[in-house]
Amino acid sequence: MKIPYGWVREFVTVSLSPQEAADRLVNAGVEVAAVTPLAPAGLRGVVVGEIEAVERELGESRGHRLVLCRVRAGQGERFSVVCGAPNTRAGVRAAFAPPGASLPGLGGVTAKKVHGVESQGILCSERELGLGEEHEAGLLLVDGDAPVGGDLVKALGLDDHVLEIEITPNRPDCLSVLGVARELAALTGARLHAPRIRVKEGAAKVRDLARVRIEAPELCHRYTVRVIDGVRVAPSPAWMQSRLRAAGLRPISNVVDVTNYVLWELGHPLHAFDRHTLAEHTIVVRRARDGERFTTLDGQTRVLDAGMCVIADPARAVGLAGVMGGRNSEVTEATTSVLLESAWFDPGATRRTSRTLALKTDAAYRFERGADIEGLVDANDRAAQLIAELAGGTVARGLLDAYPRKRKPVRVRLRMSRVERVLGVAPPPAKARQILAGLQLLVRPRGRDLEVDVPSFRRDLAIEDDLVEEVIRVWGYHRIPTTFSRGEVKPARESDTGRQERLVREILVGAGLAECVTYAFSDPVKAAALGTARQLKLLNPLSQDAAALREHPLEGLLGVVATNLTRQQPGVRVFEVGRTYEPAAGGDTDTAEPRWVAIALAGARAEAAWHTPAATVDVFDAKGVAELVVAGFGSEPSTRSGGALPGFEPDSHATLLVGETVVGEFGEISASARAAFGIETPVFAAALRLDALPAEPRTPRHESLPRFPAVQRDLAFALGERPVTADAIAAAIRAEAGPLLRTLTVFDVFPLPDGRRSVAFRLTFQADDRTLTDTEVNAIHERVTQRVSAALGLTLRGA
Amino acid sequence: MSHPRVEAVAGEARAAIGAAASSAELEAIRVKYLGRSGALTQVLKSLGSLPAEERPLVGAAANEAKRELEALLESRLAGAQAAERRLQRESERPDLTLPGRRPPRGVVHPLSRVHDEIVRIFTGLGFSVAEGPEIETDAYNFEALNIPKDHPARDMQDTFYLSPETLLRTHTSPVQIRTMLAQKPPVRIIVPGTVYRRDADITHSPMFHQVEGLAVDTNVTMADLKGTLTLFAQEMFGPRSRIRFRPSFFPFTEPSAEVDVLCFLCAGAGCRVCKQSGWLEILGSGMVHPRVLKNVGYDPEQVTGWAFGMGIERIAMLKYGVDDIRLFFENDLRFLRQFA
Repeated sequence: MKIPYGWVREFVTVSLSPQEAADRLVNAGVEVAAVTPLAPAGLRGVVVGEIEAVERELGESRGHRLVLCRVRAGQGERFSVVCGAPNTRAGVRAAFAPPGASLPGLGGVTAKKVHGVESQGILCSERELGLGEEHEAGLLLVDGDAPVGGDLVKALGLDDHVLEIEITPNRPDCLSVLGVARELAALTGARLHAPRIRVKEGAAKVRDLARVRIEAPELCHRYTVRVIDGVRVAPSPAWMQSRLRAAGLRPISNVVDVTNYVLWELGHPLHAFDRHTLAEHTIVVRRARDGERFTTLDGQTRVLDAGMCVIADPARAVGLAGVMGGRNSEVTEATTSVLLESAWFDPGATRRTSRTLALKTDAAYRFERGADIEGLVDANDRAAQLIAELAGGTVARGLLDAYPRKRKPVRVRLRMSRVERVLGVAPPPAKARQILAGLQLLVRPRGRDLEVDVPSFRRDLAIEDDLVEEVIRVWGYHRIPTTFSRGEVKPARESDTGRQERLVREILVGAGLAECVTYAFSDPVKAAALGTARQLKLLNPLSQDAAALREHPLEGLLGVVATNLTRQQPGVRVFEVGRTYEPAAGGDTDTAEPRWVAIALAGARAEAAWHTPAATVDVFDAKGVAELVVAGFGSEPSTRSGGALPGFEPDSHATLLVGETVVGEFGEISASARAAFGIETPVFAAALRLDALPAEPRTPRHESLPRFPAVQRDLAFALGERPVTADAIAAAIRAEAGPLLRTLTVFDVFPLPDGRRSVAFRLTFQADDRTLTDTEVNAIHERVTQRVSAALGLTLRGA
Repeated sequence: MSHPRVEAVAGEARAAIGAAASSAELEAIRVKYLGRSGALTQVLKSLGSLPAEERPLVGAAANEAKRELEALLESRLAGAQAAERRLQRESERPDLTLPGRRPPRGVVHPLSRVHDEIVRIFTGLGFSVAEGPEIETDAYNFEALNIPKDHPARDMQDTFYLSPETLLRTHTSPVQIRTMLAQKPPVRIIVPGTVYRRDADITHSPMFHQVEGLAVDTNVTMADLKGTLTLFAQEMFGPRSRIRFRPSFFPFTEPSAEVDVLCFLCAGAGCRVCKQSGWLEILGSGMVHPRVLKNVGYDPEQVTGWAFGMGIERIAMLKYGVDDIRLFFENDLRFLRQFA
């Protein structure tokens, strides 16, 4: 909200500069986003000039009739100025930039030849001054009583600064010039002079001219009416127009301008009806009917519902309570009698109405934050007085005041001991009392404590701690000391999930992967390509490609792979610790958030270097990284073909298990899923369920190191005629070999010319209590070789 | 004790050793004089054919010459071999300016780095870590925190909804409520987590991360809050860091304070990052609102509490000089590797 500082200073005597005032407000919690001068930047030295005479015509130039004028600009200072404006005539006072002045768009002004004649300066239009767009209408004329030669900025009332106030939701009382003045008075101890409000009333009685009936007191706690008869609607005077412009408002007509003026001055929204448009001159405040149609002032027809409050006459709605007036009852040039509303509408209902209809107005902004139910009478009186002054007419005697839900007085006791308890420091009671009184609260001492009556404009002050904040806010937050709590000392614990996730990150970073953080939002199109089907949808997504929550643990990382491949990264090795989201019966929200570590690899495993040939990742890179994580928790996973997660190539997809517990899956991402992400390179991925892994690694147990030498034997089989997996052969070897077999590795796999595949195992034997003899090892090896080939029907190769 | 017969051979051998240029030549000399059919060996073998009185003299001289030549050969050979090895290595000398064979290096995401640092600082100060769901109820996310429906305070946190009563949490504060409902005071927790607000530009992300702190006990004050946050700032931003409180409003704290930290780039002198103010706004805080304490069954006359919340992205942006929040979620490897 734009608050002209000069206006504030009419109500409080402070000598602070605009910036100093802003700083004080900010330090007391009233945010001032900007302090800007009203005058345009670059406007300097322009004065009020009087055109004494139009001396001669100079001819036409680009459709303008050029004349030479004699301009007076101060004591005895005369200038010859060429001018082509249509409103140039002797006797007027206009904006004049003499040589040496500066204009926003043009820069420094010098005397120069125009149409063969020297022009000593420029008579300026609104646009040339940077004050607006107007140019064709001609010179910016100023009032005849503006002193000739005086500073134009001053003459136009532009020698002021505007404070851009941004309040927090609890301080609607600061949404006015008076409110800001009140705050500054409290902060500086300066005197506050509220505008004096005196209404000159006529003989006619308001109750003979209008009636009010509140049928929805729960939505409208109070409704007051004044009537001003015999008004003449016209533009408001220059002083009011320039004030409204300074506040960022557009002048409309004297009556409407007054309601806006009072809104800015006192902070209470008002509405002026053309009284003659109201059936029976009666106001009915009622709930809207479901489906009721109503055309607001902006010309939009809106469909209302019963949760909304309307101002109506006995026949039809004439206003949307607290939000916007109606087309059918607005003040026009033909209006002669004004019914002025100053009322209090329920904040929640006003907010719902404003949001439902997507109709944000200054009035709704204030009502939804809570208007001043006692102060609204002053606002009505002030506006009635101003309308009578500016638009003529007579204010009818009295005020209609329907007040079905009277405000209950708010009395709060403030214990100084509480101040100290909450803040760790407290001012002397007399200081606290002075601070609260300065905020216009009614304060009485009660022993060491204070009893406070809260005025109606401070709806945010309801409990003792609210007053604690007021005291320290004004006294200064810098007075809060810096201490350290003396609470019980207990060992702090990292969470189980946090510790587990940290270990996973350490393992994967150690393995050379980069950690990613991606949005939990999901693009339903990509999710569908990945094959997910139970996505949670957002009611109000920011965009269609982020309309749901991700259900597939790899969706985010596939996006990362696509981004990096597009940006010419040769190899992408990434992981993410994150959640997916799915419907699940139970809990507070019927949803579940399983935790995952997702891993994706694509492109180069190693870039070609002078010492290493180039290599690309394959599915065993993904598997190996996944195994590394599981092993980090002390388990060796087994592999089972296939899996539950969609989005993998069926022939390159497997599940990792620890015992019978599924801990994750890995494989190659399906070509169709890749296509949805725009990835051409194969992607190998794994997703591990963190909820299925232990919270922390098993505590290691030391075993004595072997003291006797190990013996190795190799064994190779040709696979192909039967569907036997390496895993099954290894299991069979282990079972046959017995406890002397210490390690078993697959050291070679290669295709045979006949289409079969050779798989070679290396067996390492070792005993704890003796050196194994060749005879002993050969016997085991022989047995293993024969039994495993026989049991699985394998052909032994080159034994 | 030499003997002319021996000396003739030994002298020749000494000269040959002296003239030898390589270990190979020395080896050939060894064979030539000391080998099985070497000249000196021949002398020894021929002792039998000498007159008896000459035998011991020649024998002793030959044996002495043999020992002498062997020692001489040994020492020359060691020197020659060392010189030859040096020559050999010199010819194969590697170009050590070639790049090394580097194991791949992974990288922790910058947001994780900041997260870990904050968690480390606060666990060190005695705060345990608590967590909670990202999909929350309106009741936990708003109502229990003194933000009723249709209250303008809801504008401060534009919300994603899954249903009228279910939403993506807009802050980690519902975990405060869940924790306090589950345990009696004292409470000292920090709550890191992912949060969501319907807002997107270069400093706002619809998904971001917060760490929230909560302390409730019989005797905690706003001065303690200032003390704890001062310690945090000094750990996070350096030992000369300072903070200041400014009044603010949050529905769940009373009084509320915005916390600024002295700009660590210009030490308060004013720069581009702190917009010439000398201070950086880093978190919101305050004393837990008595209504919030009542909502979880605590007695505000028995206990007081304070809470604070900060955005991890905000701190990461300040600390690492990142000017666009979207970079954190784009995961360009060239960006991520800057934090390795």
